Amino acid sequence: MRTAPAGYRRERLDRGIKVRSEDVFVLAGWGELLYRAGPRLAATVLLLVFPLLRPWTGEYWQTVFLVALAMMLAAVSWAFLENVGLVSLGHSLFFGAGGYLTALVALELRAPALVAVLVGSLAGSLTCALLLAPVLRLRGVYFSLVTFALPLLFSRIIEATKILGGTEGIVGVPGLGSLAARQYLLVAALLAAVFGLQRLLDSDYGLVLHAIRDNDVGVRASGISVGRWKLAAIAVGSLPTSLAGGVLATHYHVVGMSAFALDYSVLPLTAAVLGGPGTMAGAAVGAALLVPVSELLRAFGTLRVVAYCALLVAALVAVPEGLFSLARRRYYQFERWVPV
Amino acid sequence: MSEVLSVLLYGLVQAAVLLLVALGFSVTFGLSGIPNFAHGGVYILSGFVCWYLLRKLGWPHLLAAAGGVAVAAVVGVLLYWLVIRPVRRLVLAEVIATFAAGVAMLELFRWMGLVTYEFNLPPVVAGSVTLGELAVDAHRLAVVAAAAGLGLLLWWFGRATRTGLALRAMAQEEYTALSLGIREDFMATVSVALGSALAAVAAVLVLPLGLISINLGYDAMLVALALTVVGGTERTAGLVLAALLLGVATVVASVVLGPHWSEVIYLAAIVAVLAVRPSGILGRLKELEERV
Amino acid sequence: MLRGRVLWVLASVALALGVWSPGARTAPVEPVVLGVPTALGSIEGADSLRAVQLAAEEINAKGGVRVGAVRRPLQVVSIDTREHEPGIPIHDALAALEKLLTERRPHAVVVGAFRSEVLLAAMDVVARYRVPYVVTIAMTPAFEARIASDPAKYRYLFRMGLQSEYFAGNLARVLGYVKSRHGVSRIQFVHQDVLWAKATVGFLETWARQAGWTVVSSDAYPTGATDFSASVLRARTGRTQILVPVFDMPQSGVLLKQVKGAQLPVAVVGFISPAVPATAWQAFEGAVDGMVQFVAEPGPLAVRALPKSVHFNRAYGQKYGEEMRMKLSGHGPGPSYDAVYVVAAAIERAGTLDPDRVAEEIRKTDMEGVIGRIRFNDKHQVVYGGLPQETAISLAFQWRAPGRRVVVFPELAAEDEIRLPAGLGR
Repeated sequence: MRTAPAGYRRERLDRGIKVRSEDVFVLAGWGELLYRAGPRLAATVLLLVFPLLRPWTGEYWQTVFLVALAMMLAAVSWAFLENVGLVSLGHSLFFGAGGYLTALVALELRAPALVAVLVGSLAGSLTCALLLAPVLRLRGVYFSLVTFALPLLFSRIIEATKILGGTEGIVGVPGLGSLAARQYLLVAALLAAVFGLQRLLDSDYGLVLHAIRDNDVGVRASGISVGRWKLAAIAVGSLPTSLAGGVLATHYHVVGMSAFALDYSVLPLTAAVLGGPGTMAGAAVGAALLVPVSELLRAFGTLRVVAYCALLVAALVAVPEGLFSLARRRYYQFERWVPV
Repeated sequence: MSEVLSVLLYGLVQAAVLLLVALGFSVTFGLSGIPNFAHGGVYILSGFVCWYLLRKLGWPHLLAAAGGVAVAAVVGVLLYWLVIRPVRRLVLAEVIATFAAGVAMLELFRWMGLVTYEFNLPPVVAGSVTLGELAVDAHRLAVVAAAAGLGLLLWWFGRATRTGLALRAMAQEEYTALSLGIREDFMATVSVALGSALAAVAAVLVLPLGLISINLGYDAMLVALALTVVGGTERTAGLVLAALLLGVATVVASVVLGPHWSEVIYLAAIVAVLAVRPSGILGRLKELEERV
Repeated sequence: MLRGRVLWVLASVALALGVWSPGARTAPVEPVVLGVPTALGSIEGADSLRAVQLAAEEINAKGGVRVGAVRRPLQVVSIDTREHEPGIPIHDALAALEKLLTERRPHAVVVGAFRSEVLLAAMDVVARYRVPYVVTIAMTPAFEARIASDPAKYRYLFRMGLQSEYFAGNLARVLGYVKSRHGVSRIQFVHQDVLWAKATVGFLETWARQAGWTVVSSDAYPTGATDFSASVLRARTGRTQILVPVFDMPQSGVLLKQVKGAQLPVAVVGFISPAVPATAWQAFEGAVDGMVQFVAEPGPLAVRALPKSVHFNRAYGQKYGEEMRMKLSGHGPGPSYDAVYVVAAAIERAGTLDPDRVAEEIRKTDMEGVIGRIRFNDKHQVVYGGLPQETAISLAFQWRAPGRRVVVFPELAAEDEIRLPAGLGR
């Protein structure tokens, strides 16, 4: 930030085109329409077109795209829960639940892969909601500590009791069509999650959810059952992550204890904090940046994790509003010096 | 009979180990209200520093240990000023930022390849002692003595010294403390440095029981968390009681059921206590702060 | 305005060209690429990669591999899958494998997975990409079971390293000898909670009960555990005479330290990965004294009955230095070195790099190597036995003061008998 020259101050104003494209005036011309819809359209088109660029990008980057989509879903889900005041330090719980239940449905109930993925993810998010139900009353740090402990607990129980395949995991999960089919399934889910959940948060329901984050005693005093709303929020919010876990299980044909790994908790957290807590799109953008960077750093082994963590600390400390918010502010507003 | 005795003895040693590891974390989180989740990272860092001074530079054991403690204190100060202070009072941001710093430290060591058998520390006291039918290393007994001593010291510190009381005041009522002349930044730096130094002391005493293994850093964090949650942040007696309970429970479980179950016990204890009595077993209920 | 538009067009064209880069870099002769996706952070993985590079260099020095009419050099590419770490990140390991297969396009993979869990998961990925895959480290017998269940799908997968059933068989032979010679009968198993160790101990426990041993306990420890006091306690209360450790993680050395510190009257017979290299005596400050240590395949020890193992030892020491040779791990480097020769020979016999033909020729291999005679059974596993002229072999040595490794098994290569600590048994 530059310091003001003597006698001046910084002023930030909405751009002309933003003002002109608000409300019904957005239909005044193509410029206004594109200004409004442009970023969203561009992102959506990019997501839809990327799988078709296979001959140019190669197989490897298409796989990275699939993983990036999964992580974007996880980051969006984390951001949604954070908006309700439920900061989860163990997001891999939802990821692993979706993966294991998908594998179980596919192999025990012999369901076709698509059905297994959809049913498994739904079952996964409902199971996690039920698991967290007893501790929903907790606020702030205490809830987060429980979410931190739960995936570790399950991973150790699986190791100790050897249920669900033990350290070997569940092998032989059937594949879900071709790579492109999996990618498009996740793209559809991501678009639904980002736009749908943002809409939800901007609506009246969102008002209640934000109120639960800011002043839950007040919400209770208004006669709204905080516990039930939180339960619903977890069930809805964990669904994208469970779906991601299920689809990745069909991609790798295996689900193991590593589905509850710290990696899957740290990455959505870092992505959401980096992109900008508060907005679904911000979290998705954060993940879209982090995953390719992490793949490029693969040659450095565990230095990747060091890089995420350093990035997380830097983002929390220096850029708490997130990159997406910064970008959005630049897009909608401009700054200038005015005499005091 | 001797089986029960040896299990109890090992349980006591385990309790002492847990208490030592959790002490530093309790000073910062319990006493001063600053969650320093990089505790595990500092623990292992000081272990490696001590190893380097001892094995590579050939310093005498006591001096190398002192070196480790000094480096840990410096790292604590840096942690406070670079990571904690910018997000002070935003508890969740503090937790996430310090946790990320801790993970970064530990994974950096893993990347540097510090994982082979050569990274071990020698015991503080050599030889073994026979108590009746049981043979125990003298070092393990030294660990129990050290834990008891430091536990008493912590209790006295929080209750009777000016610094200890100032830390508690700062955690309870920030503005009143300020009006009494207690400078927050200075006190918080002291607290984090002290916590880190205690982590280093624990490292020098506990790491000789095995290897300096990076996963022990994560375990240390988990143990510190488990003890602080189960025992409650208010009273040292709670911490000691939690250490005894969890120590004996994990040894019994690993002998009767299998070695896997010790980590399950810590985690299950955290979840269970948070669900039922978030203030800890000896804590007075702070209902409005903790739950709706 | 016009300049702006022109710049835009130029930028787009540049971007398009950058993304769509046609044609490979034309090399004078395209090399035959060998991929090594394994846990390079483990001693077995790192040593195996070095052995592979040594073999590739030797073959290239003689002119390379003959593919049809052209002689092509071997090129070794590798990626670290980090699968030896606690928590076994299977997804991460598979992602690394896929990266190697799609980016570097190896014509064959050697060394392969370190962890059996990852191997089983990788089998489907390899079948999808159709690459000959010769594994030398992961030991689970479930590998053969899966190949037998669908031979057509898994025709590209082979194993040249030792396998848990053979390993357990060798251990049983040595333990049986010790029992009959010294009259001991109380046995305790301590192992790592991973597939290969569990399989090994599973077989041994069944065998031990049938052979008349009293099994005090069978303790499983998660990868990364550093405290084995529970087993020490059980050994004391159960009056264990023979302790059988089965570990591949570096932390397992602490077990020996704790056993010595508690002054347990036991003989240790088993496999502790960090206690194999010649440098282990110093590293453990003598705590390995008297331990009968198994070596999965020849390689770290030169065996006179196997001339190629002598050559391998010497060449490895020449290329990487004496210190590296002394640190050679007991599982992986021997068969990995041989694997390169097996693949090269198969390519030459097939006359092409087509994966199906190469896999077919690998199956028909019958040659002499560092590990003994290399022949695959119908489940794509190299046969291990007792005679170096007929099969591949496995070794065991006993640590004796002041730091010597005395070979005690198999009978043909043994230098001395196994000695138990004074006061144990007869």
